[in-house]
Amino acid sequence: MSFTEPVFLLYVAVCAALNRLCPARFRAAFLLLASYGFYLTWNPVAAGLLAVLTILTFSAALAVENARLTGTGRLASVGMAMVALLVGYLAAFKVALLTPTHGIAGLIMPLGISYYTFKLLSYVLDVHWGKLPAERRLVNFAAYVAFFPQIVAGPIQRPGDFLAQLPPKPVSVAEAAPRIAWGFVKKLIIADNLAPTVNTIYAHVTGLHGAPLWVGFYLFPLQLYADFSGLTDIALGTGRLFGITGPENFNRPFTASSISDFWRRWHMSLTNWLVDYVFVPLRMATRRAGTFGLVLSITVNMVAIGLWHGLTFGYFVFGVLNAAYLVVDALTSRDRAKFFKRNPAWDAAGTWLGWLLTFHLILIAEVFFRAPRVSDAVWLLAHLWSGLSGFTAFFTSGLMEGQARGLTIGLVGYLILELGERYRPDLRAKELYHSSPRWVQWSFYSAGIVIGIFAMAMLVAYAGDKKSPFLYEIF
Amino acid sequence: MVDTWERMQVVFRDTFDEDSLQLRPDMTAADVEAWDSLTHINLIVDIEREFKVRFTTAEVTGLKTVGDLAALVDKKRSAAS
Repeated sequence: MSFTEPVFLLYVAVCAALNRLCPARFRAAFLLLASYGFYLTWNPVAAGLLAVLTILTFSAALAVENARLTGTGRLASVGMAMVALLVGYLAAFKVALLTPTHGIAGLIMPLGISYYTFKLLSYVLDVHWGKLPAERRLVNFAAYVAFFPQIVAGPIQRPGDFLAQLPPKPVSVAEAAPRIAWGFVKKLIIADNLAPTVNTIYAHVTGLHGAPLWVGFYLFPLQLYADFSGLTDIALGTGRLFGITGPENFNRPFTASSISDFWRRWHMSLTNWLVDYVFVPLRMATRRAGTFGLVLSITVNMVAIGLWHGLTFGYFVFGVLNAAYLVVDALTSRDRAKFFKRNPAWDAAGTWLGWLLTFHLILIAEVFFRAPRVSDAVWLLAHLWSGLSGFTAFFTSGLMEGQARGLTIGLVGYLILELGERYRPDLRAKELYHSSPRWVQWSFYSAGIVIGIFAMAMLVAYAGDKKSPFLYEIF
Repeated sequence: MVDTWERMQVVFRDTFDEDSLQLRPDMTAADVEAWDSLTHINLIVDIEREFKVRFTTAEVTGLKTVGDLAALVDKKRSAAS
């Protein structure tokens, strides 16, 4: 079952209600049950694989901890063996996807494999480094790994953060529901209305010149952000319904004023994961190697971020480009800071130019992320300046037939998204609610219900192409 | 140790290029503008040089506050002396 299917909402509602009725000490077990119930609807064999890996990791972590406590060093290698097994498991499926028939991945592609193996890896490494005591209750640990709101596409929560919230204390529906609803608006009204135009342009890239390529260039990142952050909103809101607060994944990424700033705002749970488990260990190991160590660590880290999405040339180029951007960013940050300190008059212009440059550098990298082939991405970037006048011709051509309405709704929706996340009217309403007398609070409730009904009507009326899956569901 | 805090303050000001920086035990990376995952390792290297100690990756990733870092430096220094 997918997040946008009505049956998913029904499943969430029933499970959330049962979770509330469940005594606190059985809630972790209930979450585990609900999570495997969800996972089984995709593929029972994949659920079996998930269970086996969970038990192996759980046991390996206990062995690592016992080895450390008793001082028997030879068992510490169990942790590293487990890390190798998990990385090998993930890599095997990703490599299989490259073959024409998709090999084993064609038979069973475990849902959310990239997300749950990263959860398992962080747990083994945290215990190995002594940052986290090994969890002694298999039920709690298994509930962490399989937690269904996060399994499809993250966010990648850390084990310590999740386990500390058990047994979970569910929040009120009024607290969690708006986040879920906002996620559906972003996905169904904004992303899915932008999707057909983006798909059309990228499917015909090599036949296009100028104007339509610009449209694809600017539109895809907006679609991706609305799609993926919408999915995250649904995941975080659903998690809250069950009493689990997950990590945020986005912080208005397209307002970033530098590349390093962008990566602190985009897919944060993945970036933070890689910083802690790839970048920092590598940077520590190469810290005496000066600039070389820095360049190597950044490059490995960013290529890993790229290849995490899939072992394709396009994702590799996406990683390499971002590595190059970040290296320049890191090597010039001190001088830039000094320059702006000496010339405060340039500060505002610097921020503005920094934003413009960052935004376009990211857009260039995302062409490689989206294009079916690297050659298509190169074509798009190379032909942006040829035939700029073809704008009207493109939109009146057969390719774009019947897409004007969806595109307009998507773009207006995106504008509302950026303004909404800038001004956060929901937080103001919440403040106002809490400072109001009881009778006014009731009118908030009735207004909430009216807005809810209105939002549902909007979803039905303005939702885009319903067949498009979440972009981040495939990883 | 008595001088750990003063010497750390000098290192911090130098690494982050901020002459007015005042260390507090509860300070975190969020409190210093230039302190991110990239500059964090520069700071670690500078601290290692200043106190002639060496940290492991596990120690470095476990740090949460400046107070934690100072405690770690003290532990390493007393182990070395």
